[in-house]
Amino acid sequence: MSFLTLTHVQKSFGPVQVVKDFNMSIEKGEFISFLGPSGCGKTTILRMIAGFETPSGGTISINGKSQQNLRPNQRNIGMVFQAYALFPNMNVAENVAFGLKVAGAPKTEIAARVKEMLGLIRLDHLADRYPYQMSGGQQQRVALARALAPKPQVLLLDEPLSALDAKIRVSLREEIRAIQQKLGITTVFVTHDQEEALSISDRIVVMNAGKADQIGTPFEVYNTPATRFVASFVGTLNVIEAKVVDPASNRVAIGDQQLTLRHSIAAFKAGDPISLAMRPETGSLAESAEGDTALTGKVVSAHFLGSVIRTRMDLGGSTISFDMFNNPGLLPPAAGETVTLRFAASDLLVLLD
Amino acid sequence: MKKLWAWGALTVGLLYFILPLLGMTNFSLKMRRGVYSLDAYAVVLGDPRFQETFVFSILMALATIIFGVLLVVPTAYWVRLKLPGLRPYIEFVTLLPLVIPAIVIVFGYIRLYNTSSWLPLTGSITGTNILLMFGYATLALPYMYRSVDTGLRSIDIATLTEAAQSLGAGWTTILAKIILPNVLVAVLSGAFLTFAIVIGEFTMAALLNRPAFGPYMQLLGANRAYEPAALAVMSFALTWGCLGLIQLVSRFQKGVQSAA
Amino acid sequence: MSSDSSAAPQPTRAPFRLPLHWLGALPFAIFVLLFLILPTMRIVIGAFQTPEGSFTLENIRGLFTTSILSAYWISIKISIASALLGCLIGFSVAAAVVLGGLPKWIRGPLLTFSGVASNFAGVPLAFAFLATLGPVGLLTVFLRTELGIDLRALGFNILSFWGLTVTYLFFQIPLMILIITPALDGLKREWREAAQILGATNAQYWRLVAFPILLPSFLGTLALLFANSFGAVATAIALTGSSLSIVPILLFAQIRGDVLGNPHLGYALAFGMIVITGIANTIYIWLRARSERWLK
Repeated sequence: MSFLTLTHVQKSFGPVQVVKDFNMSIEKGEFISFLGPSGCGKTTILRMIAGFETPSGGTISINGKSQQNLRPNQRNIGMVFQAYALFPNMNVAENVAFGLKVAGAPKTEIAARVKEMLGLIRLDHLADRYPYQMSGGQQQRVALARALAPKPQVLLLDEPLSALDAKIRVSLREEIRAIQQKLGITTVFVTHDQEEALSISDRIVVMNAGKADQIGTPFEVYNTPATRFVASFVGTLNVIEAKVVDPASNRVAIGDQQLTLRHSIAAFKAGDPISLAMRPETGSLAESAEGDTALTGKVVSAHFLGSVIRTRMDLGGSTISFDMFNNPGLLPPAAGETVTLRFAASDLLVLLD
Repeated sequence: MKKLWAWGALTVGLLYFILPLLGMTNFSLKMRRGVYSLDAYAVVLGDPRFQETFVFSILMALATIIFGVLLVVPTAYWVRLKLPGLRPYIEFVTLLPLVIPAIVIVFGYIRLYNTSSWLPLTGSITGTNILLMFGYATLALPYMYRSVDTGLRSIDIATLTEAAQSLGAGWTTILAKIILPNVLVAVLSGAFLTFAIVIGEFTMAALLNRPAFGPYMQLLGANRAYEPAALAVMSFALTWGCLGLIQLVSRFQKGVQSAA
Repeated sequence: MSSDSSAAPQPTRAPFRLPLHWLGALPFAIFVLLFLILPTMRIVIGAFQTPEGSFTLENIRGLFTTSILSAYWISIKISIASALLGCLIGFSVAAAVVLGGLPKWIRGPLLTFSGVASNFAGVPLAFAFLATLGPVGLLTVFLRTELGIDLRALGFNILSFWGLTVTYLFFQIPLMILIITPALDGLKREWREAAQILGATNAQYWRLVAFPILLPSFLGTLALLFANSFGAVATAIALTGSSLSIVPILLFAQIRGDVLGNPHLGYALAFGMIVITGIANTIYIWLRARSERWLK
């Protein structure tokens, strides 16, 4: 029995349908990320779970209970906003205590819970500070503690890191994940940053134009993207335009080079154009075209990035880039040089749409 | 339900604004018994006292604006450029005329600059006029200074000044040809507001016994019935005109900035 | 420091320069001193001087006579009433426009109109109200002939406490709208949502979050409106002549003709005005700084 389910959820603002027939089941204690570009509907889904928006159709239920007629303040959900949204007239302790206070909890219980929460985010020493006296990262930790204090059944995080500096963003996301695992709280995290989603999620929902293109673990989403959009939005990707030579034996042609795919392309006819994709980090340079599969081309440019050397290679039509680790004993390839890139056939993905 | 309450509040507020305007307009048109007419306006406009005092107040307003610009623009510029530490104090001082009632300031003038003092400004008509102009400049100071200072904030005066100096410009050239044109909109906003304040000002002019428009209106109000309403309509139109011009000018500036 | 440095050629000392850049602020300083500070100081000092020039508290004590105290009291009452009502009505109108879900286009014209109306004070304002609520005013006549309500029989008189208060409201309400609208805009949507999701009802959100955030702006504006009507002279004189004894009218009469029979009592009267408007404005500035810090 899943804990948070969304069934045929849709939402329209006037004539614009921002969420189209969205279905998902989230297990108790799962950390789910909604990943997608702005305007893809991810925030709208989050706001429908919170109750700030009413779905135009479909149902949302938490722990088997439909949320349809519940107002936000009746749902027992915790939420962290992008712009912190701490109450400026209250200090840290009062902010954290707010949820318990409006619920009418006894004073001693509130005090104990506030202390516990401030310990959790390691800000015990700032209990008397006001929001304007704190950094963005500190404010967002307080916002997290405030959301968690009333022991919500679900935690919603609406791009909580995007207003922060790069460095704090990384440390805070790890902290959020650690706290989430410690408390075992079901969490929905909305972000447009693929690295964030990949690094801390149990599962990722890749959203595109109001629907989920793929729902899967970070490993699945990255390595076996379901659609061209997922492949290009998550990580960097080379797209290679090729032609089908023989669908029965999975044979395709890239320029004047031919190779055999691991994926079945039986649905194609000979001569059909086909889009292939390859991650830059999957190949390695080889002396000759032996082994699994290889492509030969001319080096357009090679950029030394420190730990990685990023090389762009012309395959006679399409240009691909690939990364290899720096090796002090080996000179990077030079422009104009002809090189062979060897890789596993299964690393060459077929993009269907 | 919620909207109903909002509309209700707005309606009450608007009625409060509109009824007096309606009342004065209606009254100003009723001089001739039984029919609406512009008689009250004709009487007012034909009154030589009206013409005298109105011209006097317009001249005072123009003098105040010129003096205010000459005083405020160089000071605000210089303080921003060379004496930024003084800004909080200057800002405080420019707000003082909002704290000290005009009647108190003019009371001080009468005591300080009377015929037996070291600077007997009230001893002659010209002296009194100058004193009144200084008084108006004081009243307008908060609006003028803030307007100009905000205008200066939006341009990089340090760079403009250095650029002008490197091309050999002197201070007068810099102020007149570089700074003033760049804050012209702010200066004009301040000027229109000053005009609106000076033209109807009563207290200072009355206590310094100058034949200004404000005291004339008061005098007329004490003795006549319909003409004051006509005057009220006219000064309301004048206030509208001044503030409308401010809006127009600042909209023009936005147009220029977005085109740039 | 090494001893070698004394052998090195002395760096040429920069020629001593007068701090001439201070001179740039001099015209302004002289003007402010002569026409704002000194006149005010003259009044303040005069309030503590005998006609011969020696120090005394007699003038201040002179304020505590029945007629002067009652003038202050009426002034304060009118100022409080018009400030309170102006705040409440102005707040309602601003809240209706900002939070009440009214069409967006209302906002621009309302603020422009408020800008004009808050500057429409003085003599003409008095005329407008006389023409509306005076004995033969538009509204008075309308209420009497159409609805049978006789304002005068109900005790209303435009030349009275309530008459002056109602008139002052014409510039107090728009001033409140102008000042409080940005504060209402400063209420972030996320605060309401954060409060809701934490379980707060709408009433709890207003009591615990929105109202405390707005309170400094509200009280600050109250103080400003108080000072604004306390110092208003022209409207009062044009409306009531000298029939209503409020402080500005009393001071006006005193300056014109020493009605109190003691010039230095006039200083004390003016000094009292400065003290009251000064306190009100200090409260305003202090509270505004506080709310700006929050809404940053």
